[in-house]
Amino acid sequence: MYGGGYLFEKTSLDLLADEDQEKLAEFEARIDRGEKIEPHDWMPKLYRRQLIRMIEQHAHSEIIGALPEGTWITRAPGFKRKLGLMAKVQDEVGHAQLLYSAAETLGKSREEMIDDLLSGRSKYSNIFNYPAYTWADSCFISWLVDAGAIVNQVANSKGSYGPYCRALERICIEEAFHLKFGHHAVTWLATGTPKQKKMMQEALNRWWYPMLQFFGPPDKESAHSEVLMRWKVKILSNDETRQQWLDMYVPKIWELGLTIPDDKLKKNEETGKWEYTEPDWDEFVKVINGDGPCNKERLAVRKTAEKRGEWVRKAILATSPSKEYVTPLA
Amino acid sequence: MIALLDPRLKRLSLQKDDLPAKENLDQLPTYEVFVQVKEPRPFKHEGCVHASTPTMALVFAKEQYSRRGTCSGIWVVATKDIMVTGYSDNATDIYGRFTETANCQGDEYSIFHMVKRGTQHSFAGVVKAASPQAALACAGKTLPRKKPVLNVWLTKTANILKTTEEDKAMWATTPEKLFREAIDYKTQEKIKAFKENH
Repeated sequence: MYGGGYLFEKTSLDLLADEDQEKLAEFEARIDRGEKIEPHDWMPKLYRRQLIRMIEQHAHSEIIGALPEGTWITRAPGFKRKLGLMAKVQDEVGHAQLLYSAAETLGKSREEMIDDLLSGRSKYSNIFNYPAYTWADSCFISWLVDAGAIVNQVANSKGSYGPYCRALERICIEEAFHLKFGHHAVTWLATGTPKQKKMMQEALNRWWYPMLQFFGPPDKESAHSEVLMRWKVKILSNDETRQQWLDMYVPKIWELGLTIPDDKLKKNEETGKWEYTEPDWDEFVKVINGDGPCNKERLAVRKTAEKRGEWVRKAILATSPSKEYVTPLA
Repeated sequence: MIALLDPRLKRLSLQKDDLPAKENLDQLPTYEVFVQVKEPRPFKHEGCVHASTPTMALVFAKEQYSRRGTCSGIWVVATKDIMVTGYSDNATDIYGRFTETANCQGDEYSIFHMVKRGTQHSFAGVVKAASPQAALACAGKTLPRKKPVLNVWLTKTANILKTTEEDKAMWATTPEKLFREAIDYKTQEKIKAFKENH
């Protein structure tokens, strides 16, 4: 599970002016009652669009997120780690398929989504534009990036759109193993030889600020989320998920004798909130817009796979008795 | 592009330039997948797969929906072959809309019910009827239900490709794959020992 810090387009309530107000009121009343919205229900255009955008970003993040970890399968230390990592990466790619299916029920085909990923029109979680130099980087992702995504996805599984919630529940069940696998691998390095410990510490130093960015910009800068929260597209704010993650995992990191590269990091006992040095949000925007260390490589891997698979898809299509595509049901 | 340490990426000789736009041709049809986790529980809808044929759909569904945990059977059916009713309001049984008298003879239809928004459709039983409309009327009369049904899916049973008794062997070793289970990654002892020495 890799999704987090989704980017929504600016929402303006003006967009709701041309909706059928009676149906809109019914729709909102249903959500207020805690009922799920299902694919064939009436929904505002804005709801549909933002959900497609969010679920699609989540699916792309699973696919792209499998790359930095996937490249470590061949070099994972030992047979057990290799098996575990292979199983985890397979799960993540499976999660992408579940999520693409959920997004498809809203009317955008999987092919269109993949085209938009390849052309750069759709985004994926920004953290995967950073490199996994060593095995320890891969371990950081397995444990702490997954942990961040879990905070986010457990919240989102209580959202309003039925198919997305069902996919997330399925995903969350499969996730317990990823988190433990990652924690196990980090624990073995952090409590291992001085060289192993150093490798783990260096990976942590590299990933700390991208990890804080993972949850998205501070709430004060993402003002357009009010209607998304009302419609339960978004359940927790960026700062809420970041705080939850800090609260759960900083003590677990310290427990392993690792340090966090931020002198200001501490929990304010009065407010109960963690205080920390803000990551570089200008860099975040720059990387999202394509200028990060691995953006080009990540997409190049996907494009190459797409190109190399073309003849297979053509051959399969030729054997397909029906090419009729209809929107999946749920 | 930064140089990574990954030998696999080097072998790939990545496309450095933008490739020409992909031809818009490879969207395969979808199949809806129903999974039985354990006998005698009902088959439940789990999601869809894209596939060229029903057999391929079964192969993908096996990998996608029964890789983890137990499974005793999978059914796949082309999305286009499933008919869907509207949704009723919470306390109202949707079958109230299909009350015409029908002759319950003809092709066999498999019926799937959703009883609460947000939950999966479950297999409810089969009826015989000459048309989908008649099948709904017959299902309303004959299928037992404890709660009002909100939404119904139906398809001719002949459209469903089902795993067989023999196929069950493919799930026999799933519980042995402990490396897929959280329980196989214990850290407590290690951390305790580490703390005692520091």
